[in-house]
Amino acid sequence: MKKFIQNTLFFSVIAAILYLLFLFLWGRFAPGVLKPNINYFMGSYGHMFSRVSEAKQLEQKDILFLGSSHAYRGFDTRIFEEKGYSCFNLGSSAQTPIQTEILLKRYVDQIRPKCVIFEVYPPAFGSEGVESSLDLIANDVNDWNNVKMAFKIHNIKTYNTLVYGIIQDQMGEKKSFVEARIKEKDTYIPGGYVEKEVAHYQPSSLPEKKITFREDQLEALIEIVSLLKARKVQTILVYAPIPSVNYKRYVNTPYFDSTMSKFAPYYNFNQSLSLNDSLHFYDSHHLNQNGVEVFNQHMIEVLEEDGTLPLK
Amino acid sequence: MLFNSIDFALFLPLVFVLYWFVTNHKLNIQNFLIVVASYVFYGWWDWRFLSLILFSTLVDYFIGLGLEKEKHQPRRLLLLWTSISVNLGFLGFFKYYNFFLDNFVTAFSFFGQEIQANSLNIILPVGISFYTFQTLSYTIDVYKRKLEPTRNIIAFAAFVSFFPQLVAGPIERATHLLPQFYTKRKFDYAKAVDGMRQILWGLFKKIVIADNCAEFANQIFNNSDHLDGSTLVLGALFFTFQIYGDFSGYSDIAIGTSRLFGFDLMQNFNFPYFARDIAEFWRRWHISLSTWFRDYLYIPLGGSRGGTGMKVRNTFIIFIVSGFWHGANWTFIVWGALNALYFLPLLLTERNRNNLESIAKGQIFPSFKELGKIIFTFLLTLLAWIFFRAENIGHAFSYLSEIFSSSLFTIPELNRMAYAAVILMLVAGFIVVEWLGREGQYAIAHIHHALNRPLRWLFYALIIFAIGMFMPSVESPFIYFQF
Repeated sequence: MKKFIQNTLFFSVIAAILYLLFLFLWGRFAPGVLKPNINYFMGSYGHMFSRVSEAKQLEQKDILFLGSSHAYRGFDTRIFEEKGYSCFNLGSSAQTPIQTEILLKRYVDQIRPKCVIFEVYPPAFGSEGVESSLDLIANDVNDWNNVKMAFKIHNIKTYNTLVYGIIQDQMGEKKSFVEARIKEKDTYIPGGYVEKEVAHYQPSSLPEKKITFREDQLEALIEIVSLLKARKVQTILVYAPIPSVNYKRYVNTPYFDSTMSKFAPYYNFNQSLSLNDSLHFYDSHHLNQNGVEVFNQHMIEVLEEDGTLPLK
Repeated sequence: MLFNSIDFALFLPLVFVLYWFVTNHKLNIQNFLIVVASYVFYGWWDWRFLSLILFSTLVDYFIGLGLEKEKHQPRRLLLLWTSISVNLGFLGFFKYYNFFLDNFVTAFSFFGQEIQANSLNIILPVGISFYTFQTLSYTIDVYKRKLEPTRNIIAFAAFVSFFPQLVAGPIERATHLLPQFYTKRKFDYAKAVDGMRQILWGLFKKIVIADNCAEFANQIFNNSDHLDGSTLVLGALFFTFQIYGDFSGYSDIAIGTSRLFGFDLMQNFNFPYFARDIAEFWRRWHISLSTWFRDYLYIPLGGSRGGTGMKVRNTFIIFIVSGFWHGANWTFIVWGALNALYFLPLLLTERNRNNLESIAKGQIFPSFKELGKIIFTFLLTLLAWIFFRAENIGHAFSYLSEIFSSSLFTIPELNRMAYAAVILMLVAGFIVVEWLGREGQYAIAHIHHALNRPLRWLFYALIIFAIGMFMPSVESPFIYFQF
């Protein structure tokens, strides 16, 4: 029995070391299709690498935007700057509250915003957060918060990518990486916003869906709100506009609205702003630049009227 | 609790430590630990159904004792039928109630009679088909005086609920497994290492082969109306390896886990896709169920001793019942009947026991003749699996008719085609490993002798890496849980 336990432990150590070695070699040299569970892509879709690099150099801002691609493609920092609000957009692809919490913990004390506008999109609350975790691992630092996030998400793809990312970080890969400002139709705007070449959506009917809340995502939202409250930062939750065909597919939106409004001042701009599905959107859930301009002007007006935006 | 879950990865070492370090001084306490662990294992899924296992255990335990005491034959027979009725009654209610009700209503409406009957929302208790058959084997063997009934209720409860094989087999015979609970287990290093190796191989089969094949099999079977024959063939091929990887993987984990605790379970799969005819396939596929039906149904019916008519009747009965055992759907019945049709020509020409020797024994490659037979048998089973996987009979026939159309000669199309090709390559590699290890109890059993320790450990580490790299994001339950 002693021999069995000794050998089992010894093999476990050897297997763990070999796993790391294989992971490194496989991640480095195998083509993408052969590594379904390593998804490490520096400078991935959404310009997160540029955004994070900029965030690290930032000083105090009035407004910090957070949320999914609806945030970094929906809150044009230039429009807010024009109105006299200094701001930064820290949205990321498919960002869920779990990742928002991490980003806040990392950057809130450096950016010291007076107000955080957190874009809340129903599917984010039903998501495990795998996609966004990969974006964060590949484009931001891999610290203890990312390790905790991996355990929370508990997905093999996140675990493998995190381990691979840590090895890459140790080899200084991120230091030498430079991300292109223009990628296909996307242009990164300093301040965190990504502008897309104007395109138009051809709406088609979408099947009904029910909004669900994962417990871990709600817990993260509670944590976000209390973290900001402790720093006396004004929190605003925003459901950014999506095409009406997409908005109407959710059968329990009132439930989502009532849940969100329990946490902080909440605005569902799908109700207060009427946009055209073809003219103002480029796909089933993203505003095009025309839509962003209309939405941002309207949002500033509403928030100023309500006195929820910080004093200039 | 799933074998391929973190819960089980924590549960197994904990039970192992308690078993060998805390309770090893007394057999009854060790058996009691097995009962508790097994009930926790099962209750993890749904604790309410533990009462069913407990009830079956108590009924069969006391009926076993009654059968020993009772000398009067009709009363012994009554006791036996009580056990059969209770066990099959539970199985019938939970598994077949709605099926019979729906078919009863349909049959009456065919004759113009409308019957109002509401089907019930019944949850099928996991593993009921497996432990029911296992406990039935006990009462039948006691009745036939092949086995002494046990007076040790803890050993009997451990036999009925033994967690490695509780929910999906192998379906053990009482004559084989029960006596192992009477004797003190001694830790055997070689056996435990072999168990670990078999668990690892089982996990590979389940997670890498079966779960990845499942993605494409589901994609194709769920959208078969819109797909070409060539894609549908691919779907059938993916399902063929999904079901093998899934079920034989489960059996490997079950057998390996049992070996860690000093138990030997019967081999449940013996490289069935290398069979040279259907009779050989059925000697190699789900062996514990096939032999159960042979011993407790086919032979009591007369087996192949009678005339041609009786042989045909018994063959159809055993295959159809075997199909029906899998689920309350006509697709399983047709799958069973189709296998009977495949089997009958061999039986009637007395060629059903032609291929008893292992395949290409001592050779690296099979002969062309053997290869041809293997491929032909494989294609027959692949066609039969279409009925097994289809939603209903109509679906199976429309699937088959598209396969046998000109669209068979088109290029297959499906989502993530490149990844499907990767999975097919993994399946090809898997077939090679299985072929090389076909003379062992499981494919990599011979590794212990074939490679030195550093190479062996490297090989195991590669398997672990493959599991980590190709594991689908979502844990999938084992297919046979639904049976």
